[in-house]
Amino acid sequence: MTELTYSAVRKTYGKREILAGVDFGLRSGQCVLLCGENGAGKSTLLRILAGMERPDYALVTRDGVTRRWREVKKRLLADCIYLHQTPYLFEGSVRYNLNYPLRGARTSREALVREGLAWSGLDTIADQAVHQLSGGERQRVALARAWLRRPKIMLLDEPTTNMDHACRQRTVELLHALKREGVALVVTSHEPSHFAGVADDVLELASGCLGRAGPMYMALPDKVTPIDRRARATA
Amino acid sequence: MGSIAESTQQALILLFGGDPDLWVIIGISFKVSLTALLIATPFAVAMAFLLAFGRFPGRRLLITMFNTLLSFPAVVVGLTFYILLSRQGPLGEWQLLFTQPAMVIGQIALALPILIAMGHSSLQATDRRAWETARTLGASRTRAMMTLMREARFGLLAALLAAFGRIIAEVGASMMLGGNILHYTRNIPTAIALETSKGEFAQGIALGLVLLIMAFLLNGLLQVVQGKGRPVA
Repeated sequence: MTELTYSAVRKTYGKREILAGVDFGLRSGQCVLLCGENGAGKSTLLRILAGMERPDYALVTRDGVTRRWREVKKRLLADCIYLHQTPYLFEGSVRYNLNYPLRGARTSREALVREGLAWSGLDTIADQAVHQLSGGERQRVALARAWLRRPKIMLLDEPTTNMDHACRQRTVELLHALKREGVALVVTSHEPSHFAGVADDVLELASGCLGRAGPMYMALPDKVTPIDRRARATA
Repeated sequence: MGSIAESTQQALILLFGGDPDLWVIIGISFKVSLTALLIATPFAVAMAFLLAFGRFPGRRLLITMFNTLLSFPAVVVGLTFYILLSRQGPLGEWQLLFTQPAMVIGQIALALPILIAMGHSSLQATDRRAWETARTLGASRTRAMMTLMREARFGLLAALLAAFGRIIAEVGASMMLGGNILHYTRNIPTAIALETSKGEFAQGIALGLVLLIMAFLLNGLLQVVQGKGRPVA
């Protein structure tokens, strides 16, 4: 079971403090839902966790060894996959995109691509150009492409934004499948109720601090009282 | 009118009759220009990448400089390198003046600003997520760069075609640096200039037709290429 802990993650843009010493832990097969208002720093935190954005300061503990973020950046890039809110697909077919993260002989890559197509239910549109796909299909291509990389951690930024119910269900099913395979998931969303079945933990990011939002957030998304920010700020 | 029609008729006979002198001139033109393009392209692409994604002091100044060089007259480029390569010049020892390599140098200088400015624009227009996606999917920096080039390939190809179009048709630098020597440095534009000055319009028209057909084909290719480039979210 992989355990990864980020401590004292700090990030400022100019004079604006986005993350004020956030602590965050993850283990295999865990799904953490990250909530917070627009501009709270959710995407920034995900990108730091993925090794894609340099924090002002952060420590990362892995297998009991603690190192600075920049020392483990390459390892984070290798272990994590970050999916943008609107996933970027390379120009070409669905098959081309699924083939992208794969290495090795052509025959083994082709077999893996077939596996990825079956996993995501994209078999029928394998040779379709990506610019012809719907938003839901694009998200599934991005998830299948990420799955083929066999990541330990997947960080998804608003994966169900602008999706209808069916597409959303399909995406959540894929997240369930990833979780069953032991992939640790961190999902940001403004609609926590969409992930009620898959999330183990719900955290809220506000005023640069991360706090536990708890089951209240899941059950009553519209009536949740955010964690007392003054209390957190003084903590 | 009669003489123009007659000259055009003679030009077509020269062109399609396989006149050896004419085809040697065409061959020299393509050889010199393609060599210049081949040498200039790797440096230009690297520089375009640096300007598009690098953050360093003087970057804006470099961009402005390359954009300014776009409108640099070919004859001034020729003059600059003539001074450098002439016997008394700092590079006189190389003894390159009035040779094909000198023409290649001049054409490289003309092609670079176009390749860099257009390459920079097309690379800068690529989606930032393309780089991030490539990296998060395990691509090395080199592979991520190749991926970005693939995503920007239509813009980069347009830059190549535009640069080739400029250097194969320029007369100033080739005339000054090549010296218009028959069967060695006489290319299409310098031959047209010479034949016209002698009042021999047939060969000039024939070579002009070659340039015109080539320009038409390049522009047609550019249209096809740009038509295929569609934005991908």
